[in-house]
Amino acid sequence: MAHRWHPVARGETARCTRCEAVLGRPHRLSIDAVLALTVAAAAAYLMAINTPLLSLNLRGGSESTTLPAAIWDAWHSGTPVVAVVAALTALVAPAAFIALRLYVLFPLSLGKKVAGFAWCVRALHQAGRWNMVEVFTVGVLLSLVRLAGLADASPGPGLFALGAMTALFAAIESAGLKHLWWSIR
Amino acid sequence: MSAAVPMRQPAVLGCDSCGLVSANVLVDGRVDVVQRCSRCGHVLRSAKPFALQRTWACVVAATVLYIPANVLPVMVTTSALQREEHTLLGGIHELWLDGSFGLALIVFIASIAVPVLKIGVLGLLAWSVRRAPNWRRLERARLYRLIETVGHWSMLDVYVVVLLAATVRFGPLANVEAGPGLLAFAAVVVLTLLATWSFDPKMIWQEPLADGRTDPA
Repeated sequence: MAHRWHPVARGETARCTRCEAVLGRPHRLSIDAVLALTVAAAAAYLMAINTPLLSLNLRGGSESTTLPAAIWDAWHSGTPVVAVVAALTALVAPAAFIALRLYVLFPLSLGKKVAGFAWCVRALHQAGRWNMVEVFTVGVLLSLVRLAGLADASPGPGLFALGAMTALFAAIESAGLKHLWWSIR
Repeated sequence: MSAAVPMRQPAVLGCDSCGLVSANVLVDGRVDVVQRCSRCGHVLRSAKPFALQRTWACVVAATVLYIPANVLPVMVTTSALQREEHTLLGGIHELWLDGSFGLALIVFIASIAVPVLKIGVLGLLAWSVRRAPNWRRLERARLYRLIETVGHWSMLDVYVVVLLAATVRFGPLANVEAGPGLLAFAAVVVLTLLATWSFDPKMIWQEPLADGRTDPA
């Protein structure tokens, strides 16, 4: 259902008069602030994929795992489809989520529209749909608790980075994508 | 199955990507053009193509695969003493017996309640578009938004098994492997996501034009 446009103030939400679905909302933060959060998310992402998520000690032996290593292991231990799904939702989609936003937001903070802006916004929509970092973070916590029952398990720095990413993603994503079009004059 | 519900072409179309509203060129009776948004170039359609067929296809496939996902083991553990196979429900039962009620509840919600809810709700929504178009529209629209929001969480167990399999690798002493049920379960999760995205919530509000009834919108 189409609605007549009228400006939405920060903190307000435009909802459909018929089905109450969110039509659009401006971001509580300015483009510059969202850009800063995205840069922080990029740092957290690099940390999350390069440091161990959790480590386990059992009778002198020790094993720790990073996100790419876990996916690599799933690929080689006979579950390649599961590895692809996990890689797409926990590795590729978050990377696209951050990279495309950086590419779009840097020029936007200067009031410019990048080449391929429309394509980027549509790709961001897909990246947001497939991104499941928040679920993965809870998955790591759950694994940690289950392992703690049978051996000496401890969280790694990657887990904290994942937690930071979850919070940053929620803040960045809170206004959806349509408001990006409103900042172009 | 009744014939396709005839749809009146709306006078304007909103862009799904950028939100800009454009006049619908198909109102003049033309059917051969693909209209694009003048601001962002996204294809403008009054409805998602083949929404009901796609939704049904994914829902049926997810329902069928939900059986092996529950019957086959999702995780195989080996210890010095024995080799054990764990199914989805079996894993939850073990957590419950261990006294981890909170964990058991979380895993139950993510692995059982959310997929069943999604399959049930999507089946109901797809069925009611043709069979009960006027029934509790606002509630149905809210149900759709609910499964759209919680849909991701059924991936939880997939991640847990992948992580456990990657971490617990002490050879014959202690080892965890993914079971064949995990593949079926991951497929169920992806299929229910695709089903949710292919359903068009606008169909909930569409007025059938049969029986001389007029479109109140």
